[in-house]
Amino acid sequence: MSTEETLVLKLKNKATQAQAFEVLVNTYKERLYWHIRRIVLNHDDADDVLQNTFIKVYRSIEGFKGESKLYSWMYRIATNEALTFLKQKSKKSGISNEELQETMIENLHSDVYFEGEEIQLKLQKALATLPEKQKLVFNMKYFQEMKYEEISEVLETSVGGLKASYHLAVKKIESYLTDAD
Amino acid sequence: MNQDHKNKFKTPEGYFESFNERLFARLETEEGEPNTDFLPQKDGFGIPEHYFDTVYPSVQSQLEKRAPKVISFNRYRTFYYAAAAVAVLLVLTLGWNWNNSPDLNFEDLASTDIEAYFENNEVGLSSYEIAETVNLEDISITDFTEKSLQEESILEYLDEHVEDVEDLDLNYEELEY
Repeated sequence: MSTEETLVLKLKNKATQAQAFEVLVNTYKERLYWHIRRIVLNHDDADDVLQNTFIKVYRSIEGFKGESKLYSWMYRIATNEALTFLKQKSKKSGISNEELQETMIENLHSDVYFEGEEIQLKLQKALATLPEKQKLVFNMKYFQEMKYEEISEVLETSVGGLKASYHLAVKKIESYLTDAD
Repeated sequence: MNQDHKNKFKTPEGYFESFNERLFARLETEEGEPNTDFLPQKDGFGIPEHYFDTVYPSVQSQLEKRAPKVISFNRYRTFYYAAAAVAVLLVLTLGWNWNNSPDLNFEDLASTDIEAYFENNEVGLSSYEIAETVNLEDISITDFTEKSLQEESILEYLDEHVEDVEDLDLNYEELEY
């Protein structure tokens, strides 16, 4: 039995659940945090979404059948939580998703937890022009250095499709950065 | 050294044996990964000091805060009995048939009202959760195929939800004729 399967069994057992959950959070918190942060951009929002993700995982683990890997299931929940968070935020503010993206990037200028320079800001602007899926694939491949096979499990897309998305994303970013200069 | 006896051209030793390997290596380089030299190595995002140490305690405290509260039924049992007795007495005294207004059912709600409710209220359910909640056993594929959708509705949906033509996942080969 793999380590992951053992962890899932412990999470489903009331007697070992608390200790297993601590192991789960400590194992995945950093990876999930960076995944979420690159979607919502702001640290406080990323922290909220990360907590919601773990709470959803804790409450839904009973229904986890092990048909996919635990980490890909958690990544899916995190992605879903982050995108839902942004949708709710734009709805509450009465603005479109595009307008929200612009505001989020604008806010990076005064964000104490953004240490990027002009090139990083330009990159965020370029990323905002991409369709959601291309943006996700780019961040997962380039910054999180995930393998196509791993991304494929999370986004439930073929490896070939992902390669095409990544190529397109890189080309579009390059063209945006070149035009912006 | 390989030699073509007709043309007298020569190739290096093992050239054809290693040709496939070299071809695939080049394809891998040219088509495998796009050039990303122009991209910054880091995205510039930072975090507060020792942030990751605080994650588990915060999640734990959130779980405790959001745990559904269990209210002991026994504590209020006497009040429930008393309230039920009063209700029965009132019904018997005032008669049953005092309310002639028709009962309202779920079917009486206009679909626009339901849509407006979901639109204006934060139901707190993501599409993922709704998909988990809906019982698929009561739904068959014919529910979707037999009901014809207005072309206008389809176009409106695509306009609102599809950001890129790639999202449609069209198989262009099948469309060629």
